[in-house]
Amino acid sequence: MSMSGRLLRIVLILLGPALAAAACRLAPILNEGHLSPAHTALIYGGLFLPLAAGAAAALSARLPACLFFILAAGLVMAAQLRFLDNYFLLVIMTMGINIIFASSLNLVNGYMGEFSCGHGGFMCVGAYVGSLISMAFFTSSKLFGASLLPPHLAPLLFPLVLIGAGLVSALFGLLVALPSFRTRGDYLAIITIAANYIIISLVENIDFIGGPRGLSGMNKTVGAMREVAEMPWMLIWVLTAVFASIVFLYRLVGSTYGKSIPAVCQNEIAAEIMGVNTDRVKLTAFMVSSGLAGVAGALYAHVYSYVNAQAFSILKSTEALVMVYMGGMGSLSGVIMAAAAFTLLVEGLRFAIPFINSLHILPAGYEISPVWKWVLIPLCLILLMQFRPEGLLGNRELSHFFPRLNKWMKRTSSEEEPDAHSGNK
Amino acid sequence: MMIRVENLYAGYGKIEALHGLSFEVDEGEIVTLIGANGAGKSSTLKAMMRLAPPEAPLVSRGDILFKGKSILPLEAHKVVEQCKMTLVPEGRRIFGNLTVMENLHLAAWTRSKEEIAGNLERIFDLFPRLAERAGQQSDTLSGGEQQMLAVGRALMTGCSVILLDEPSMGLAPLLMYDMFRTLKRLNTESGLTIVVVEQNARLALEVADRGYVLNTGEIVAQGSSEELMRHSHIKEVYLGG
Repeated sequence: MSMSGRLLRIVLILLGPALAAAACRLAPILNEGHLSPAHTALIYGGLFLPLAAGAAAALSARLPACLFFILAAGLVMAAQLRFLDNYFLLVIMTMGINIIFASSLNLVNGYMGEFSCGHGGFMCVGAYVGSLISMAFFTSSKLFGASLLPPHLAPLLFPLVLIGAGLVSALFGLLVALPSFRTRGDYLAIITIAANYIIISLVENIDFIGGPRGLSGMNKTVGAMREVAEMPWMLIWVLTAVFASIVFLYRLVGSTYGKSIPAVCQNEIAAEIMGVNTDRVKLTAFMVSSGLAGVAGALYAHVYSYVNAQAFSILKSTEALVMVYMGGMGSLSGVIMAAAAFTLLVEGLRFAIPFINSLHILPAGYEISPVWKWVLIPLCLILLMQFRPEGLLGNRELSHFFPRLNKWMKRTSSEEEPDAHSGNK
Repeated sequence: MMIRVENLYAGYGKIEALHGLSFEVDEGEIVTLIGANGAGKSSTLKAMMRLAPPEAPLVSRGDILFKGKSILPLEAHKVVEQCKMTLVPEGRRIFGNLTVMENLHLAAWTRSKEEIAGNLERIFDLFPRLAERAGQQSDTLSGGEQQMLAVGRALMTGCSVILLDEPSMGLAPLLMYDMFRTLKRLNTESGLTIVVVEQNARLALEVADRGYVLNTGEIVAQGSSEELMRHSHIKEVYLGG
């Protein structure tokens, strides 16, 4: 990369936080209501679009990244201008959380070929740790006393919550992995299920974090962010986290270090005699996987403003497994698609069943119960396993089926095409 | 002496496979271990490579010295890193779901880009077939090509000692000769030290400098290749008269 290209990137990377800070300052003024909607749209457009395009160009000049940023900026703007109702936003955020949750499990169950089925446990750790960090940092609570940081910093320092939750979950992952990676296959499955149960019972029996009643102190942090500026903060953080984790996983599995993960899956001995430290690779992959599950958990807690250990039971772990096997083990794009589709299916059936009832096609007195959802979803999975056991994409990426996509995945080199950044003018 | 195996006892669980094995390998030599099935040839190589049980035998007594230092406390990946010694395992064990190129790159993951580039050229020069198939998924290769990839991959690690476990297994006679000719070429041109375990004793002795004959975990004969070829008992048992 040329010197000027590198400089441009640095400027753009610095521009992002600067604009975000400006947005925080400006937003309270905008919310006073003196301005017409068109005017507001113009100002927000002016704020978000350069931010999005700049960040996209700066972080990665790949087309999918730019598309994601444009889509994300569109969603955030639409949410800001109240074009989208809260339910729709909740579905979008759940989808994002599911994408992180499933694609992190895919690293262990897909790329590494192990069978971990206690992924919900790590999400639980992340949810609680994230909530506690956010309560301690940004809110004054009975538990921690006065806030450690001024609450108005919450919108900018929220990533600390996610990072903290991720790190602690990764440590829990290490605790589970250390004794269990001497064994493989079925044994790991049993150990991870046990770990899931242990984590949930542990949380339910610690009284100061709410025990079985759950925890809801983190909603004050969301409130604090809202107070600084009335913006869809959680949507912004979910989208950012989705982008960051997908880029991270994509880079990881594409790197030479990452290639050692499927190599360990294929043949541990062969990997070892190539100089790959197989134990360390396995531990690293498991820690990354559980860490990202923790990030998903922290987001979940803040999006729903309430956590309860039972929400992360074996059912949650099963959901993650379903998404991974639906998308295809070892396919990042497949699992992302599956996570999105699964969320839509679960939410879609919520409406489809009352809709069918309202058509009055059934004899009078008969109604389909909403519980049928939990018959139809497993049925979909059974049918998928019957007719396409390798999942939507198998272990291949989307670009394998549409080779033209490969062209778009390549970095548009900034030396030859200075136009790549023209969107920021 | 580069490698010295001293009075090595090793086994799987309660079953002892090697009963006091001693032999030496000098730098730049081709040494072959020959013997019937179950003589302990593969176990010896696995123990030398420090692979972990249960696939490899557990050493109970004796020592394996590399340039005078014991390598018993090391793990296999450390042996690769520190001693520059690697193994071409029995049955090839290539990474089937990766392409030929990815297999080769993975093997070189501890090395710099410049080193890799020169090494790749050398491997494609030795095995032009691999260059043709560079982008192909490696489980679609034929048996011979997979063996070439297994050897190429071992070379990519940049190791100067290569242990080969039955490189001729499952190859057509012509390919077998090719493989051994390539090994000889690597030895004379690049000074590679080679320890090869082989069922096809005649073929192995033709390229090797020295050989050891194993029988049920013990060395029963040793000497230069010519001596072993002339040895009447060995002729009878291993070379087919």
